[in-house]
Amino acid sequence: MSLQKGRLWDLILRGMTHFMLILFSLVIAYPIYFSIITSLKSSADYAMDKVGVPTSPTIQNYIQVLLNMNMLRFMFNTVLLVGVSMVLYFLICTAAGFAFGKLRFKGRLWIFTFVLFIQIFPQMVIAGQIYQMISKMQLLNTYVGLILVWVAYFAPFGTYIMTTYYGSIPRSLVESARIDGAGVIQQLIWIMIPIAKPMIGTLGIIGALAMWHELPFSMLILQRQQMRTLTLGIALMKGEFGLPTPVLTAAIMATSAIPLVMYIIFQNYITMGSTAGSIKG
Amino acid sequence: MKRTRFRMTQDAKDALVLLSPLLVLTGVFLVFPVASNFYYSLTKWKGLGTPVFIGLENYRQLFQDTRFYSSLKSLGTLVLYIPLGVFLPLVIANILRTGLHGWKAYRALLYLPNIIGPVILGTIFSVILSQVGPITEILKSLGYANANEFYMLGKSTSAINTLSFLFVVWMRVGFGCIYFLAAMSTIDESLYDAAKIDGTNKFQDFIHITIPGIRFSIEFFTVLAFIEVFARMYGMIFTLTGGGPGYATYTLEFGVYMLSFSAYQKGYASAWAVILFFFCAIIALVQIRLIRKGEQS
Repeated sequence: MSLQKGRLWDLILRGMTHFMLILFSLVIAYPIYFSIITSLKSSADYAMDKVGVPTSPTIQNYIQVLLNMNMLRFMFNTVLLVGVSMVLYFLICTAAGFAFGKLRFKGRLWIFTFVLFIQIFPQMVIAGQIYQMISKMQLLNTYVGLILVWVAYFAPFGTYIMTTYYGSIPRSLVESARIDGAGVIQQLIWIMIPIAKPMIGTLGIIGALAMWHELPFSMLILQRQQMRTLTLGIALMKGEFGLPTPVLTAAIMATSAIPLVMYIIFQNYITMGSTAGSIKG
Repeated sequence: MKRTRFRMTQDAKDALVLLSPLLVLTGVFLVFPVASNFYYSLTKWKGLGTPVFIGLENYRQLFQDTRFYSSLKSLGTLVLYIPLGVFLPLVIANILRTGLHGWKAYRALLYLPNIIGPVILGTIFSVILSQVGPITEILKSLGYANANEFYMLGKSTSAINTLSFLFVVWMRVGFGCIYFLAAMSTIDESLYDAAKIDGTNKFQDFIHITIPGIRFSIEFFTVLAFIEVFARMYGMIFTLTGGGPGYATYTLEFGVYMLSFSAYQKGYASAWAVILFFFCAIIALVQIRLIRKGEQS
């Protein structure tokens, strides 16, 4: 009898837990749901009903966003900027992470601590000076300018992740490469980068998401409308056109399409990779 | 002996080559801007022309500026939400840890905000919470005649609390869950088995085994929350409230932006940035100490 009672109690507890979690997940997912349903409504429909599902779904908003609002150009800019930056970012973080993680040299601890120190500074502390420098270098409104700033700003954290990774690799690999007479650049290409393969995903997730969502630097450096990234495009869209909400949400969904599809495909990988560098062991 | 010394210098030479790209880039685009900020904070400068040295004048102005105190107050409110922002994902992770049916689906949904990003979420929420948005409509249909007045971003207190909840709790629950789940998976399962023999309940296990077992991760996550609040909030403030109403949702970071790129008082903005620098430096030192401690144990 008491066993049965215990089981019932367990079932109730389980049910309550599920209920709470479902409620919580709905609260988290609501903004996305709202964007999706709103993006399929016409402006007149939205004015009538802001809550319900669209009665006569339309893709007109998406057509407008993609054809008239430079969205495809923003997408091209973003993919190009993030792509090139990620290659540089990966090389720099791998090289530096290897040096900190596997080589023994004077001042290693101090330089590494310094890298940890600078990675937390807010973009705003440096934004003013970055703007001055970039404009003096004639790099305003260029891809190169933003790529350099992005890589410089995000590389310290990536370096930290790679350092912890290389710290767990046996040192004998370096020694054997030296005996083979390989120079440091050859070691980088033939040994360090191949070893870092399992980390490409992790670094990619952390770096690419950070760059994809980055706002202040792109806002300062890319001032021509043509040059904007997706995130910057959305941030400035609302004020600029006095845009109807359904069109804005269509732009938001078009912007989020690439990250969302990637997330659906690589979900396990992304959620696990995101914790790299901050969990012991 | 001789060979060891040779090896040391070889390491140093290699390290120099490997580190130079990182050090040059961060030197130019991070260290130099942070350092020159200290100089500009002592000048009057519009961003064009020559900065004029005016000593500590900017700092005197700063300590009389209501926007500055408003920013500190906002940061205070935000920090008060951090305990909830740490505790909630910790509890959810603990529930999911025991393998609740369908936990992967919950995890996937809870992590969604990290994929969408603060700029877009801020934009969506500014629509959802606006006076002509769905919340108002729902309230109206429930019979509130003055639903328009229920405008959470319209009043100082509710605006900063809404922003705090969204940024510190709502946005971070998913990452926190995954983070704590990963940390909990490193706890030795036999500890729980031993406790079961002693007849402890789930709550006791949580307090006596889980929390001590992932203490490092809890502390680290808390530090990360501080970093987000002090140094990573610009995108969401810009799109959600624009610092308003009035100066109610200003933070130091947002203030630096408004002063240097909207008011063109770059010298004065640098003084704000210096204050922000010291806050961040303290957080960074706590984080470094934590990492060192984690490495030793």
